[in-house]
Amino acid sequence: MRTSLRQVNLDVIRLQGSRFLYVCSVCRQEARPRPFVARQFLRNASDATPITERVRRKLWGTDNPPGLKDPYGGEGVFEKKFKRGQSAPQEDESAEVTRAAGTENAVVEDALPEETPYEPATTWEGLQRVGHLGRWSDLPPSEADAYNSFSSNRRLTKLGHVSLAAHQTAVELCLMHLLKKPLTSICDVAEHEKPVFKLIWNCKIQPKSNTEWDSALVYPDKETEDALIYIFEQIGGAQQAAPEANAAAEDAEAAELEDTQDRDSAQEPRSIPFFGYKYAKDRGFLALSLNDPVTKFAFLKRFSQLTGQYFPDPILHSISSVGQVIDHIKTELKPKPKKLADHLVGDDSLQSLPNVKVFVKKQKPWHKDEELGRKKLIDAELRERGLVE
Amino acid sequence: MKRLQLQRWSSSVLSSRARTGGRLQRHLYSSNRFQSTASNPLPSESDLAGEQSTASSGSTPFLKFTKRQLPSPPVQAARESAKLAALHARLYLPSRLPLETLARCLVDASADPDPQFNNTSLALLGNDLLSNYISEHIVCTYPRLPLTVIFAAVYAYIGPKTLAAMVREWGVEHAAFPGGEVDPGLLQFKRVAPGTDISAEPIRGTTRPNEDQTTWRRSITSSVVYDNEYGDPVMAPKPPADPSGSSPQPPVTAEQASCSLVRAVMGAIYLHAGRLAAKRFFEQHILSRHLNLSELFNFSQPVRDLARLCARENYEQPVAKIISETGRKSRHPVFVVGIYSGKDKLGEGVGGSLVEARSRAAVAALKGWYLYSPLEVRVPSSTEEPGAAPWKPVYVDLGEVIV
Repeated sequence: MRTSLRQVNLDVIRLQGSRFLYVCSVCRQEARPRPFVARQFLRNASDATPITERVRRKLWGTDNPPGLKDPYGGEGVFEKKFKRGQSAPQEDESAEVTRAAGTENAVVEDALPEETPYEPATTWEGLQRVGHLGRWSDLPPSEADAYNSFSSNRRLTKLGHVSLAAHQTAVELCLMHLLKKPLTSICDVAEHEKPVFKLIWNCKIQPKSNTEWDSALVYPDKETEDALIYIFEQIGGAQQAAPEANAAAEDAEAAELEDTQDRDSAQEPRSIPFFGYKYAKDRGFLALSLNDPVTKFAFLKRFSQLTGQYFPDPILHSISSVGQVIDHIKTELKPKPKKLADHLVGDDSLQSLPNVKVFVKKQKPWHKDEELGRKKLIDAELRERGLVE
Repeated sequence: MKRLQLQRWSSSVLSSRARTGGRLQRHLYSSNRFQSTASNPLPSESDLAGEQSTASSGSTPFLKFTKRQLPSPPVQAARESAKLAALHARLYLPSRLPLETLARCLVDASADPDPQFNNTSLALLGNDLLSNYISEHIVCTYPRLPLTVIFAAVYAYIGPKTLAAMVREWGVEHAAFPGGEVDPGLLQFKRVAPGTDISAEPIRGTTRPNEDQTTWRRSITSSVVYDNEYGDPVMAPKPPADPSGSSPQPPVTAEQASCSLVRAVMGAIYLHAGRLAAKRFFEQHILSRHLNLSELFNFSQPVRDLARLCARENYEQPVAKIISETGRKSRHPVFVVGIYSGKDKLGEGVGGSLVEARSRAAVAALKGWYLYSPLEVRVPSSTEEPGAAPWKPVYVDLGEVIV
């Protein structure tokens, strides 16, 4: 065992002073007198008590000094580990002995898990949950957590469908005006049944003046009028509880009808908007005014719900009639402009020009290299240097 | 009106478009390497035998070559190249000159040694036409020019540096390396390796006798006999090592390749569009370049030359007289000296000293003599036009004085 070099140097300098300017480190090692202090730390293999313990005993003057068994921290981590590995069975035995010396309850508790052999869990299922219980994120999903889109997810892109939606919205709002009901409550009904829609479709709108929504509706016949007014009285019906038994019976009938239609509609593919109707029969709704903010809000909300088309704020602000809504949608529905390359490829006048060449693919730098004849030189050089195979 | 008389030898450079070859013949030769802008000769017996042998060996004669294996772009690529069409339009070439021939003009012999596909034959014809037109123009316009000035003027008009500059002005780009995949609108030649000293070796193998005697005097008159139109030595024709002409050619400089391009375009125009178009091209691209001939003179002893000239022409001995002077005693005197022969003033010069002014006056007198130009210049090639007046020989002077 050698002390560190730094210590050695100090020793040498201390011993020899400045007589030698330079001595190589090997010679210093060899010529060095054995330091007396370092010998104290030498330990015989048979000597069990470490030097610290011996010093401690000498300090206290007794073989059993007070205090901890090893106040200097004891052995290192690795020594402990190796020792434990060697003496593990002994420790187990000693642990069992201490347990046996404990209370009987403890013995019983320990004995229980020994009956079912321990199996490590492979999944988290069935394990006890720990931590952060009681927060909202740990609660099971409630009804309010489910998100249902306000509007239908599909976005109508055909102009006929858009006008159908606008017409339907106008008729509905006229009815709601007529019935003096909250206008936006129509949005509770996401989609009408087919016969109801047909009734609505048959209605016309002839506004006498721009602001009159309640008197603008023209029914094809009396039956339609009665039916529509009856149906729309059900919507947002908190105000009128429909106390009549007659009405209740009809309600039940209507409910049955709805059920059957629900089944029908469930069987039908939902992809056909407006039950296959292509266009609105009537054009009078275009002249309806949207100057009243409540009406405007209700109209746009219902229209957005039906069509999936939304309006940015500046457009919202500038809209003052139903016709403008349709105009905006028309501009929105314009076909996307083609890419320049498509234009160029499709241009016959360019194709006939001899000094213009339209490439199908994007031209990369290696195309240019190929055209100049440089590519094969680069290729050959790279191969020669072994950079490509 | 008969505009174009096609010589028999020119058929080797005629395009298959201009010559209406049989469709069957063209079809047979359309997709193998035999296709060329040159008219297809009828397959000789040896060709047929060769084809039969290849057919019997089991390989189809068609599609033997991919684009990369070809030394120069295939003929059908000329129609697809936008660069080539743009060059054709930019040079305002006649529409009778097809794009295929223009593409062939862009292929130097170093790129494709096959004479059916490179521009050697066209360039040869074009060079002859150019030197013919430019020398008759110079000689007829300035009949008293000394021979050295004529050589220098021809070099300035159609020399390699000028032609290379023209190609640069035309916007022709150079291909990095020739090959079948290269755009046919690029000038294709095999480049000299960088760092090569081009003028390192003395020129050998010229037509001049005793060329190894470098100390012998080479008179300017002998250049007329032995040298080319610029007064540079002409290389003697070497017997071709490979009669098929497919031996690899030495690499050339960009200047040489550019020269051959301009010459080949000239030859192609002559063959496809006729002499009138060729002359128009010559006037528009060569003669339109301004050349100040008076700067080409270099007199060592102008006063003595003028005296000899006057003696030869039987004029009175030239006398220098001071016309005016100022500041003779100052730091910057100015003398105006005139040279008179009898009562005629031959020239006038301004100088800081009397000697300088006199020599300047003599130079002016000599330039006035040498740069004489007749009022009506007519060149011999103008008689080739139909209905042209018969040629009246122009007076060409004795030339320079020999001291």
